[in-house]
Amino acid sequence: MRRAPGRRLPHPGALVALALAVLAAAAFGALIAAAQDRPSVLALDAYLRRILVFSLAQAALSTVLSLALGAALALALARRRFPGRGLALAALGAAAVMPAIVVVFSVVAVYGRSGWLAVGLEATGLTLRPDPFGWPGILLAHVFLNAALATRVYLDALSRAPAEHWRLAAILGFGARATFAHLDRPILMRETPGLAGLVFLLCFTSFAIVLTLGGGPGKATLEVAIFSALRVELDFARAAMLAGVQLAICLSLTLVLHWAVTRAPVVPTERLPIARPDAGDPRLRRLDRAVLALGGALVLPILAATLEGAAALPRVFDRDLAHAATTSVAIALVSAVLACAMAIALAGAAQAARSRRRGRLAAAYDVLPALVLAIPPFALTAGLFLLLRGRVGPTQAGFLLLPLVNAIGALPFAYRFLAPALATSAERHGRLAALLGLTGLRRIAIVDWPVLRRPLAGAFAFAAALSFGDFGIVALFGGTELRTVPYLLYERLGAYRLDEAAAIGLLLVAAAFALSAFATRMARC
Amino acid sequence: MHTPARFLLAALTLASPALAAGLAALPTPAAAQERPTLTVYTYSSFVGRYGPGEAIAERFEASCGCDLEWVTADDAGSLLGRLRLEGASTQADVVLGLDMNLAAEARALGLFAPHGVEPGPLDMPVAWEDETFLPYDWGHLAFVYDTTRLDAPPESLEALFTDPDGPRVVLQDPRTSAPGFGLLLWSSAVFGEGLADAWAALTPRVVTFTTGWSEAYGLFLEGEADMVLSYSTSPAYHRSVEDETRYEAARFAEGHYLHVEIAGITQATDAPELARDFLRFMLSDAFQSLIPEGNWMYPARLPEGGLPESFEGLIAPDVAFLFDPERVSAQRRGLIDTWLEATTR
Repeated sequence: MRRAPGRRLPHPGALVALALAVLAAAAFGALIAAAQDRPSVLALDAYLRRILVFSLAQAALSTVLSLALGAALALALARRRFPGRGLALAALGAAAVMPAIVVVFSVVAVYGRSGWLAVGLEATGLTLRPDPFGWPGILLAHVFLNAALATRVYLDALSRAPAEHWRLAAILGFGARATFAHLDRPILMRETPGLAGLVFLLCFTSFAIVLTLGGGPGKATLEVAIFSALRVELDFARAAMLAGVQLAICLSLTLVLHWAVTRAPVVPTERLPIARPDAGDPRLRRLDRAVLALGGALVLPILAATLEGAAALPRVFDRDLAHAATTSVAIALVSAVLACAMAIALAGAAQAARSRRRGRLAAAYDVLPALVLAIPPFALTAGLFLLLRGRVGPTQAGFLLLPLVNAIGALPFAYRFLAPALATSAERHGRLAALLGLTGLRRIAIVDWPVLRRPLAGAFAFAAALSFGDFGIVALFGGTELRTVPYLLYERLGAYRLDEAAAIGLLLVAAAFALSAFATRMARC
Repeated sequence: MHTPARFLLAALTLASPALAAGLAALPTPAAAQERPTLTVYTYSSFVGRYGPGEAIAERFEASCGCDLEWVTADDAGSLLGRLRLEGASTQADVVLGLDMNLAAEARALGLFAPHGVEPGPLDMPVAWEDETFLPYDWGHLAFVYDTTRLDAPPESLEALFTDPDGPRVVLQDPRTSAPGFGLLLWSSAVFGEGLADAWAALTPRVVTFTTGWSEAYGLFLEGEADMVLSYSTSPAYHRSVEDETRYEAARFAEGHYLHVEIAGITQATDAPELARDFLRFMLSDAFQSLIPEGNWMYPARLPEGGLPESFEGLIAPDVAFLFDPERVSAQRRGLIDTWLEATTR
């Protein structure tokens, strides 16, 4: 490729990557610097080794189950049109971003000792007592969240399949088997490494779900140890060190995943409505029915359990809620815009590197967004706060850090939605655009936008919903001014008002559902 | 071309720095304030819709000629974490809501000044001599149960821990929760050398260890466990607010560990006199009378009207345990390691 004359400006994605790296390094540095006199040498003791093994096992199993169910559900939803399909997609979107505390209580409401399942079993005369605590609860919660996420990502990818492929398949008379082998499988495989990395990291760093549903301290994640070092023992060096261990493990796993599978190129095409030739296959129809039933059986009860909060809804609508909702919406909008902008910049940089045949650099850009999940938000926030302290007041710091940390948390999701679309666009139109000399914003507007528009709606809604439901750092920086909706949930929970907390949880889920329905309409997938 | 969507995106992108700046500017208080402001850090449920915070602020402001501003963190642990992060730059004049088991760590931060307040006679099971912190309320840690589901609760901590057919309990993780750590201290007071074995015996009947009190109590109310670690005052909430008498706290023969909530003045305060006034006010009737049914704990000094009706009939243990904060701090890591070893055997 010819270089533009003069010095090349760095790609915006390179700046974003640099900024993220600097932010993380500065946060860690500030923590270690603040550790002062405590000489904290960290040996990985027996307990830490044990929870590491457990974390790896539960994250691996959760990932495999989530991706398998997600792929099957995405295929079934791609093949079938049925009334309520749009609602089902919106429900999946809402499930994928459900706040951990709501997931925990919903899983217990359905599968607990006095849950719906127990009541149902009792009615049929069975004396079995379900016990979700331990492996079942952790896997149920993780698969509930991440199968929903995987379905959305896979379905997005399937809907971008070139129309020529489908015409060719029709001409060649592909049966169900050939359709899967030659059309669907390559698309699913292409998404799998990135998605698997993301889901693995989500499960590996999962905190409240693993701790509460795990049933005992033997089932915990490093994140728990980091949290307790940071907050209870006030041992910043230990926290930074543990976070470093977590980062190293996640980095090596993500790298292995990314280098193990290479991305296949896509041929140029425009997307037209597709009639899938395999939709009529009777065996597939039975399979899809079973898959949809299974997906429904997993997702719907847990989602429906949030409706138990409806009774107390009238009592939570007050000035506090209006104030908190305004704050939450503003924070969610800022962090969603920030997350999408960062994702587009990074994906663009990855694409630019790929077109210059610098595969490793491109892979590094691909890895980076998921990797930010390995940085514990507590540690990141604490470190950044130490940097800000003295310059701005604590509440102002909260207002600055909350959107930023939420945006960073939403970045890997936004990237999962946006990067494949940008890659598709580059592979289809990249050469032509280069030939015509289209660059920068003009290129985005003319070439990328038509492909980007649909996933952008999804990414934006996802990031906004995720941020809207985030409790994380409000725990530290909440205040009478900085009160978000999840903060209210915990406030009521702490004052014995379980029913009002449930009502607020329902509102969070409803907001996510509305955002997801909006994105589904925008995308029409 | 889908212009509306493009327009929306462009508008949002342009607006986001402005929004962020607006957010950052929001909390700046109105200019030209004549009245001094007293900033008090506490945990969120204290000033929530049902907490006593708002009424306390009104009553204090009526006499102090100042504004009281509450700043909250999620719970006592977060409160301490936030103080540690803010260091000397903290805007807190008073910190209210740490508990005794965090007192040594809080003192070690070097952020607190001697309170210099003569507390006078207190109504607490222990004598008070701390020069940094003053108590404002207290309660016994206790196991709460539903009398319609459990008719014969254990009569001692030992029975609860060691009876293999005993009730199933939901507890809090001592690494993340104040009552969770309190139980670890309680059990170490009762079992001494046998602590690890006692925990190993109890573990099969622990439904789960939650991150905080709220999650555990929620799981108990949902019917996941026969008993939950909470406070001896919890049944008063159900009686008073829900008119529900089926929840009781079990009285244990060995005695109960105390949960004492404390407040202190920071060294960074620019209004030490006002801060001391607040601590004096904290031990007065105006403040203390809001505690029982606002924070669901015993007031540190009984207000003139005594305790509300809902507190009648609560258990009154003969023995109350409370370790010296410095001892708690020194033993923390060791106790948690013992607990980890015993519960993951």
